[in-house]
Amino acid sequence: MWAKIAVLAAVTLAFQRILVMPGMPAWFGHFILPIIWIVAASLVRKERHWPYEALLLGLAWDLLFGPVVGPGGIAWTAACLSLYGLASVVADRSPKAWAAFGAVGTVVVILVQRLAVMPLGLAGFFTFRQLALSAVLTGLWCGCVGAVLALDLGKHWRAYHVRKLR
Amino acid sequence: MSRTYVLRTVLVWTLLELLAALQVPAIGGTPVLFSWLRILIEPVAMVAQGTVDLAIDVGLGARGLQQAMIENREMRINLETLRARQILLQADLAALREIGDFAGPDAEFGAGALIGRCIYRDLIAGTMEVRTAGSFILAHDTPVVSAKGLVGRVLRSEGHRHWLQLLTHAAAAVAVETEDSLVHGLALGTGSNALTIAYVPRQAELERGALLVTSGGDGIYPPGIPAARVTRIRESDEPFLEVTAISTADLHAIRMVLILPEWAPAASGGLP
Repeated sequence: MWAKIAVLAAVTLAFQRILVMPGMPAWFGHFILPIIWIVAASLVRKERHWPYEALLLGLAWDLLFGPVVGPGGIAWTAACLSLYGLASVVADRSPKAWAAFGAVGTVVVILVQRLAVMPLGLAGFFTFRQLALSAVLTGLWCGCVGAVLALDLGKHWRAYHVRKLR
Repeated sequence: MSRTYVLRTVLVWTLLELLAALQVPAIGGTPVLFSWLRILIEPVAMVAQGTVDLAIDVGLGARGLQQAMIENREMRINLETLRARQILLQADLAALREIGDFAGPDAEFGAGALIGRCIYRDLIAGTMEVRTAGSFILAHDTPVVSAKGLVGRVLRSEGHRHWLQLLTHAAAAVAVETEDSLVHGLALGTGSNALTIAYVPRQAELERGALLVTSGGDGIYPPGIPAARVTRIRESDEPFLEVTAISTADLHAIRMVLILPEWAPAASGGLP
């Protein structure tokens, strides 16, 4: 199970890499696809421990996209912890909740990463529009994933097979 | 959220930030982390340096204070020494003045007279100790005078130190007479500053304030030395007047005395 999740996370990171490759539309760069894993962890997981997975995800993000390794780990664990807190007070697990959690997680990741690199003198130009765009796009991505999960396609597929075998 | 949870978060985030700081070069080329450490260490180093400087200054101050206290103590000792020396010099000066007063008696008694310095006196016991510059063995009953009058006689002599019996001693007796030699008497010591003049006839013409000088009749003291001054005369049923006098020598204040070792009663012709 854990290996499968790790592979899927790596695939997500690879897709993220593809999104920011030259030739792709510029607004693709505002997606943060791996956010889905901390959103899923906060909405689906029953038992919560300190988010080492988010730490690894953040360090991997730094390796692929950041100027230095470290701030990503801080930002992603901070986002995961904040989503844990949000999930403990919000009972909704609908696609809308997935979208909202994705947006919140994106905002936290971006802001905390900016704060973390600020003492290092690496904080670049940053606007509220960019932040809002990233939050909306990533929230939509998470909402889509939540909607797919809500449809439970696997269950329908298995029912279809059962009917066909009869 | 437990305390461990928060501590773990803070620790991990701090380590990650330090890791990032280690990767970013600063202006000098060294990592930002080193400049942070320098910023953290510099105030501590400054405080430590300041503390060390303060400790050194306090130590130097304490040392200076100790030195000043020692010097102050030495100066006080020197001051006390100077004061004592001043007192001694004043005493020496007064003694020298008294010696100057001896010009008359010394000339009168010849070169054999010795000058002695009073180093101890007990007026109640009627004794005095004097010290001479040279070592002498003085004869018993050698007369001793001061610039103002008769002091007493030598009882014991031992090198530089000589013990006297004052004329106020309770057992002392000096033959005296008035300056005109008309009235004779015997000055007896009373153990105090007063003298009793005995054997003064009732018909004697003696007035209060009259000066009594030695007559030489006792064979000890040379004649003509001022000995006492009459302070009280009283008639009684006795055949003699009750005469009281005080010593002319300032026995409680004299510093220098003149010892007359070579005076011989026979030479003076004072003996009856």
